[in-house]
Amino acid sequence: LSAIQLMVGMSTCHYLPARFIVSLYPSHLRQIEALPIMPSVADSSADFEQLALPLMPSLYNHAFWLTRNEAEAEDLVQETFAKAFPAFDSFQTGTNFKAWIFRILRNTFLTTRAGIATARTVFLEDHPGTLDTTAASEPTPEDNLIRLDNQAALQLALEALEPPLREALLLCDVEEIKYKDIALILDVPIGTVMSRISRARRTLRQLLQKQIGKSL
Amino acid sequence: MTQTPQSASAGEHLEPDTLSAFIDGELSSEVRQGVERHLATCHPCTLRVLSAMQLKAATARAGNRYAPSPEALARLTANLRAQKKPEQPETKQTARVYTMRSPRYAAWSALAAAVLLAVTFLGWHQLHQTNALSAELLDQHLATLSSAAAPQVISTDRHTVKPWFQGRIPFSFNLPEATSLPPDTTLQGADLVYIDHQPAALLLFTIHKHQVSVFLTQRDTASALISPSNIRAGFNLHSATTPDLRIVAVSDVNPAELDSLLAVLVQAQKPLG
Repeated sequence: LSAIQLMVGMSTCHYLPARFIVSLYPSHLRQIEALPIMPSVADSSADFEQLALPLMPSLYNHAFWLTRNEAEAEDLVQETFAKAFPAFDSFQTGTNFKAWIFRILRNTFLTTRAGIATARTVFLEDHPGTLDTTAASEPTPEDNLIRLDNQAALQLALEALEPPLREALLLCDVEEIKYKDIALILDVPIGTVMSRISRARRTLRQLLQKQIGKSL
Repeated sequence: MTQTPQSASAGEHLEPDTLSAFIDGELSSEVRQGVERHLATCHPCTLRVLSAMQLKAATARAGNRYAPSPEALARLTANLRAQKKPEQPETKQTARVYTMRSPRYAAWSALAAAVLLAVTFLGWHQLHQTNALSAELLDQHLATLSSAAAPQVISTDRHTVKPWFQGRIPFSFNLPEATSLPPDTTLQGADLVYIDHQPAALLLFTIHKHQVSVFLTQRDTASALISPSNIRAGFNLHSATTPDLRIVAVSDVNPAELDSLLAVLVQAQKPLG
């Protein structure tokens, strides 16, 4: 599967936007990684509130990373609730509510002006030549102490990440969502999720190295 | 995650994607065991894994950066709690979509609005007219009470009063026998008045010491619109109808006695036999 993904990526990613690469991913292989069908239907508004309320800070944080704007983040979360609640009957209990509502948040974002602009941005999926991933970027234990304790530097590096990479990384590291659910949220194959997260981490290291190099 | 880009074999360093998936706990048990075997003998990869885990933890802290303000949190919470079951929002949304997108529905909406407006206006107009009529009747009654001028017909005899109206009003009516009137009720006289530009017969009665004005109008005139009973400025306005007439009595006497007089007048309009 990963070999196919790599091959597809190598053969197409130079000139096709991400969504086209996704469409080239063999559908029968995507079936293997599809999320399980949920057994029963939830129908209570109290249940919705009970499930959604604890996620509000996470949704807002992620919305802010997507919109980069306080007011738009609030609007996005509000609109997400407005869309999610009427659709709550279609949510099947026993599955990941967090993934479900994050998917709605992201789809809602894609209908905004900023989201449309983001979707139109051509993003090249993992390509070996795009980044320098040689041993030169490998950290030393000393590097770790300097860079990883520097939250401000890391935040700057996160802001500098390409949005598709950052989005996948935040869903994984901040929200602790599994790859298969991130794939559902981002509507990409799970292999793409894995490569994006890996690439995001490598890029973060490179960005941190540059920052530390300037400051030292 | 059951697949990896490349299994870690002895002698080869871990691929970045494999390492990343390893620290995320996304490798299958088989691949994970292979990675663990490799790490047991490869110091550089162990350092990479350690560093990757530190970066992951640091990213979790740095990425969890934005929190809503207390005001925003309150708004969002209130908004979430205000969510109702789908019926109401869907109805509203549907109506909005139809109005915005479909000229047909917009036309129907405009028609419905026009009908509603017309009904409302007619209702208001009728109410306004009724109120105006009541006010006019009350004014007439008060004028009778305050006027020093005697009515044109001063008679307790119904045989005098009734003929006087012939030729003056476009309808006729009957008067009850004096003996048929309720106790202590007396016909004092009559006058010709105009109610809403229509001629009306004004019969003046007394019940005890209370003056009573009884207006008789044609039932088919628009001016006949009045509610069966209402109170204006402390005076009772009670009305009754016959097939041809509308009879309105105005007085400050108690309503029951006013109704008794009305009932007798209505009864008098019924054909004998």
